[in-house]
Amino acid sequence: MIRAWLRWVPAAAVPAVIAAGVLVGSIPARAGDPLPQKSPAEVLTLLGQHNTRSFSGTVEQSAEMGLPELPAAGPSSGPVSAGGAASVLEFLTGEHTARIFMDGPTKMRVQVMDRLAERDVIRRDNDVWFYNSKDNSAAHLALPAFASDLPMSVPEPPALPGPPAPPGDLPGRDLPLPILPGPPVLPTPEDLAREFLAVVDSSTEVTVGPDIEIAGRAAYSLELAPKTQGTLVEKIAIAVDGETGMPLRVSVMARGQAKPALQAGFTSLSLAAPEDSVFSFVAPPGATIKELQVPPIPLRPGLPPLPAVPGGITPGVVPDSAPDKIPGSEASLHHRGALRPTVTGKGWETVVGFPAAPDGQAAALTGSLLKDPLLSQAAVVVPGGRLLSTALVNVLLTDDGRIFVGMVPAGRLQAAAGAV
Amino acid sequence: MPNSASGAPSSLSLLGSELKTLFRRRRTAAMLVALAAIPVLIAAAVRLSSSVPAGRGPAFLDRISQNGLFVAVTAMLVSVPLFLPLTIGVVAGDTIAGEASLGTLRYLLVAPAGRVRLLLVKYAGALAFCIAAPVTVALAGAAIGASLFPVGPVTLLSGDVVQPPEAALRLVLIAAYLAVSLAGLAAIGLFLSTLTVVPVGAMAATVVLSVVSQVLDQLPQLEWLHPWLFTHYWFGFADVLRQPVLWDSFASNAMLQAGYIAVFGALAYGRFVTKDVLS
Repeated sequence: MIRAWLRWVPAAAVPAVIAAGVLVGSIPARAGDPLPQKSPAEVLTLLGQHNTRSFSGTVEQSAEMGLPELPAAGPSSGPVSAGGAASVLEFLTGEHTARIFMDGPTKMRVQVMDRLAERDVIRRDNDVWFYNSKDNSAAHLALPAFASDLPMSVPEPPALPGPPAPPGDLPGRDLPLPILPGPPVLPTPEDLAREFLAVVDSSTEVTVGPDIEIAGRAAYSLELAPKTQGTLVEKIAIAVDGETGMPLRVSVMARGQAKPALQAGFTSLSLAAPEDSVFSFVAPPGATIKELQVPPIPLRPGLPPLPAVPGGITPGVVPDSAPDKIPGSEASLHHRGALRPTVTGKGWETVVGFPAAPDGQAAALTGSLLKDPLLSQAAVVVPGGRLLSTALVNVLLTDDGRIFVGMVPAGRLQAAAGAV
Repeated sequence: MPNSASGAPSSLSLLGSELKTLFRRRRTAAMLVALAAIPVLIAAAVRLSSSVPAGRGPAFLDRISQNGLFVAVTAMLVSVPLFLPLTIGVVAGDTIAGEASLGTLRYLLVAPAGRVRLLLVKYAGALAFCIAAPVTVALAGAAIGASLFPVGPVTLLSGDVVQPPEAALRLVLIAAYLAVSLAGLAAIGLFLSTLTVVPVGAMAATVVLSVVSQVLDQLPQLEWLHPWLFTHYWFGFADVLRQPVLWDSFASNAMLQAGYIAVFGALAYGRFVTKDVLS
């Protein structure tokens, strides 16, 4: 019966229309006006000159490092329970979204949006606040006067204040972990771009790819490719906004992997100055408040660290016994002054080696590194030690306690370990 | 079409009588009472126990003793995965199959109401329940919270503090978000309801589908599928509690649910207008 057959037409047509709509939407939109042709050097200059300091936007960051992925569990669980190290590692797995608001060099707010929770960093002039909604805790950092005009150089603790973790269990807390340079706050395209532009030299081939569109803006695609084959990095692509020169997206491609190993980019961006109220933060009632100590700024090596200000503690809330030291600061570095890292190779093939620490510290260190569930799962036993292998970086923990790190294949690390 | 035939009841009166039947049923009332009991239980438990340590239990639970309005938020959070879908499944699964099993579907169609219109009216009734269910939880939560705990400025996820009127608005937004979230499930239930004359089958299938979809959403291996699952944005209502409000998930959720309504509405239409109504 034809009539009955006709009745099913909508049921077939609706999915077809939706599929067509999705297909059309997935075709990258062509920018209205093609950007003027520019040489790689000109794009680099454009990028270097960019002076966008007022914007608001949403950044999506994703990592496909080959580390084991933890399934997204219920709303109440989360990396916060694992303490500081997990917060750093967190950005090396999965996807994260953050909103970024900036107005001038000294006003900034970053909101890392977790499931049913949020972590905020708010800076207004000399005041920096950290807030974690999971346990309603806030931390305050007063920047010394001379730092007030430093753009973006907010010293960042490795983790937003979470529940205090057992001491001695936190590899990220007082160790200069060169493996994980990622700041605890979501790395912005800006941060990543700066990181990788620092290594542009003769060992890198710089090209400009076809224009792309990011967050509705036409952008140049600056591609940095290592000339050597001896590195895990295949290519780094930076989307440079054609108008302002602002980096809109940075993708790091690893060899033999289709998806970017690391990518951070804007999904929406507005160059209008955000509302001023966004940068106002007052610790909410009932929050646990911590006063963080300012680390000595490397610009003034002679300056003594400022004493902590024991202010702003809510009555009825037990404050933490001592103000937190910003880890990774000189205090912890000097602590291990004897440890001079060795550097072999150069450019993309650099291998950094950390000698074994005396008096069994190394064993404790390796042990604590491997105590992290994520790391211990990822570490495999290889001749001469254990290897933490990711798409971009390999870390070799030798049996005698030395650590070798590099963006190189594992064989090179073993060679470096054998040569010393 | 029978719609234009003389003597056909107007769509409004048809909808009116459908809503009356739906909300006068004891079963509907019982489900709404059960939903209202969730915040009451939560509030009583928090009131009677010692303070909840931060970071334990469902999100926001530790905030309740400081601010009663969080009872409503916590209750909505707790009822999203199962309780709300359960009640929607019962209502939506019953729409057509319930009439068929009672033998009243024949009479509804004998009256020149038209099958399409009947389907639309039934879906509108289910939608009304989709709105009523989260609103019930929110109202009961706010009421019991206000009576057992102090009500004051509310701390949002971003750490900003808003006054109670603004916070009440955010509660309404959450309830609206949940109502939108459940609309797709109601369409699925409507379609399943046209397939059978056993209402319990359609109800169970609807609820099971919502659970299956949530389980699939947890598996990282199926990441490509996640944006297509109708439960994917269910917990996105937290974005309403950010400052400034993040509307992205609200919009994506509405788009997704509209897609589900279109697909399963069309399927239900295809099935229902070609169906031989024997009972």
